[in-house]
Amino acid sequence: MKLWFKSGAPWVWMTAGAVSISLLSVIGLLLLIASRGLSFFWPSDIHQFEIANSSGETSVIIGEVYESEQVPTQRLITSGIEFDKEQGEFVERYLIKTGNREYVELDFQWVLGPEIVKETRPSGIAVFERSKNGNFYGFVDSVIVDGKTIRENKEDALFAAIDRAVDLNDQALDLQNDEIGAINYQLEKLRLKERKLELEDELTDAALRDLENQRQALRDEYKVYEKELFAFRDEARRDSVIVKDMRGELVTLPIFYVLDVSFPNDMNFFEKVIQYGKQLGKFVSDDPREANTEGGVFPAIFGTVFMVLLMAVIVTPFGVVAAIYLHEYAGNNAVTKVIRISVINLAGVPSIVYGVFGLGFFVYMLGGSLDQLFYPEALPGPTFGTPGVIWSALTLAILTLPVVIVSTEEGLSRIPGSLRQGSLALGATKAETIWRIIIPMASPAIMTGLILAVARAAGEVAPLMLVGVVKMAPTLPIDGNFPYVHLDRKFMHLGFHIYDVGFQSPNVEAARPLVYATSFLLVTVIITLNITAIGIRNHLREKYKSLEH
Amino acid sequence: MISVAPDMSNKSSSNIDIDNLTKEQIALEIKNLNLFYGEKQALENISMVIPKGQVTAFIGPSGCGKSTLLRCMNRMNDLVDTCNIKGEILLHDQNIYDRSVDVASLRRKVGMVFQRPNPFPKSIYENVVYGLRLQGINDRRELDEVVEKSLTNAALWNEVKDRLHDSALGLSGGQQQRLVIARAIAIEPEVLLLDEPTSALDPISTLTIEELITELKDKYTVVIVTHNMQQAARVSDQTAFMYMGQLIEHSDTNALFTTPKMKKTEDYITGRYG
Repeated sequence: MKLWFKSGAPWVWMTAGAVSISLLSVIGLLLLIASRGLSFFWPSDIHQFEIANSSGETSVIIGEVYESEQVPTQRLITSGIEFDKEQGEFVERYLIKTGNREYVELDFQWVLGPEIVKETRPSGIAVFERSKNGNFYGFVDSVIVDGKTIRENKEDALFAAIDRAVDLNDQALDLQNDEIGAINYQLEKLRLKERKLELEDELTDAALRDLENQRQALRDEYKVYEKELFAFRDEARRDSVIVKDMRGELVTLPIFYVLDVSFPNDMNFFEKVIQYGKQLGKFVSDDPREANTEGGVFPAIFGTVFMVLLMAVIVTPFGVVAAIYLHEYAGNNAVTKVIRISVINLAGVPSIVYGVFGLGFFVYMLGGSLDQLFYPEALPGPTFGTPGVIWSALTLAILTLPVVIVSTEEGLSRIPGSLRQGSLALGATKAETIWRIIIPMASPAIMTGLILAVARAAGEVAPLMLVGVVKMAPTLPIDGNFPYVHLDRKFMHLGFHIYDVGFQSPNVEAARPLVYATSFLLVTVIITLNITAIGIRNHLREKYKSLEH
Repeated sequence: MISVAPDMSNKSSSNIDIDNLTKEQIALEIKNLNLFYGEKQALENISMVIPKGQVTAFIGPSGCGKSTLLRCMNRMNDLVDTCNIKGEILLHDQNIYDRSVDVASLRRKVGMVFQRPNPFPKSIYENVVYGLRLQGINDRRELDEVVEKSLTNAALWNEVKDRLHDSALGLSGGQQQRLVIARAIAIEPEVLLLDEPTSALDPISTLTIEELITELKDKYTVVIVTHNMQQAARVSDQTAFMYMGQLIEHSDTNALFTTPKMKKTEDYITGRYG
């Protein structure tokens, strides 16, 4: 035993153990959010339960089994539930997602195991994904296409009708977002122009007439599009489907609101895989619906990546320049030391403090001044004097600045002095040496700083809530309207989306899987950003491998 | 650009009289040079001349100040904060420590090669043209010409002509050192300072560099610091022996090694210390 200790083996075991624990917790975390998040999109079977409760009432419940748990029998008995038969210590309890929100009280129901009389998975149950009121479960009775009731081949007719309606709705949406959106944007521009002229006392009759003419032209154009839009909508409203729900009643669903229909109980494994991929794709590429509890998270992904990239573009030059001054020019004295320590300590300031600073300094002071200088016509409505993506990026840039400075400085100090001397001896000035030799050689370290900064910034939520993130942004920061990049706009963010869906949602049960899915997506986005940066860094490292002999 | 015309007369008569040189024969003149690192004096009252077109070697035990003296000649000691210099070094009758002197242009005239090869992490080609690009020369033809000429003069052209755009870090130590020399002579300095250029190299590379040094003196004034007395005897025309920050003896290489005037020199070259 003594020998064993002496051999150093326990030390190896201990260190290896620490690594394993770290590794296991990371893998465990990823597995948990991945499994919880990704399994949500799997088309699970739809169960039909016949339920008889203790008072003898029977009912039918159709829905997906969302989760199950063990409940102590005693607790149920104390809460007033009676059982016919003697039960064990625990009773199984199921959470069923029944959908059909507008027809039943709750779209999630708890069902006790002993009360279930019969459980089946009947074929023919359809799951309707709708743009309003969530999913609908039921048996398709008939399809009404253009006023005619179809009972033969009703599935095919249903699919065709849904494809048609979705297509029309998409066209209507495109029209609304692109053409009509552009007209609204231009009208707003004209309003600002008029106000500007008014402020400058140059609002002559001629100018007014000119503005009015432009406005009229836009309005005429708008009317044409509006007609088109209503035409699309009326067309989309044509068909409907009659569905028998779990109460046994026939319900008419307008296909206008149906996004997709599937029959999970009739699907084989491969069809389910395809359906799964489709759902996952929708989650990544669609806009959110119904207070973010349904639909996708595309604007949040876009906002996160855009904001982080903007931050990286801002923080890198600032951090690198500051590090170069500290390392190359500042004298090695007490003041420099104090500055260096302050910079390092800045990394420890709670992020919400940066948020408060960003709100006070960037949004109100800087943004407010910008508005007064350049956008007086829009006042009192703020342009830059309100939270926006640029202020978020700037706030996070300050937050991550210490990381970039510290790692850049570290990189600078690793460059061999002989290379500096070599450059100086060839008649280079210090600035030329820094520009041509030092910065390229320090670039891997700069990238390391950037990687750390991106990792920190992409996961930061608290400060963003003060300086630019919103629950629902109607437009992306980049669109087709001049000047194409709108840095003053508010944006959506995956981190905030998790918080919003998880804690601010009107429908907790429906939102929970989305929390996991969004978390997994956020991690994926951060990992992707980091892997890209690491790839660039390794390439640079290879290029500027310094002398090692 | 300043260049020194090859002075063939010097080569044939290495036995010049260093005490009676004409102005044209002097490359550098050091006058009463004192150097302090903080409180510690590293060089004491050094006065000497470096003759043009000759190889001058500095020998002496470790820490005697020979490298420090060499680094004074192109003001590399400016990089050391605590370094304090009194006295003069004259290049073309101008004190290089004068306020009006531009250090960068001084270093273009007085090039330096260091103990360890320090090629930049760039291609061989970019290493050679580094000094030229600094001067704003970017004409492809001109650069190509200089690269070929400098690498040929540094006896490296044949080995690297097919991979000029590969990284310089892929070269062997000896090749790297010759590349660094090529880089230094690409900007045509008047004086080339070599600070123990072979101490990090293997014997065969050392031999190549030594041959190179003898060829270089046709065009440049070479000052070399070396640990190795045989090397000094092989490559130099003039040798200066330094000890404890003082210049003990400076004379013709043959004379210094065969008939040293000072006792300390004799003790050192016969191996009694050092």
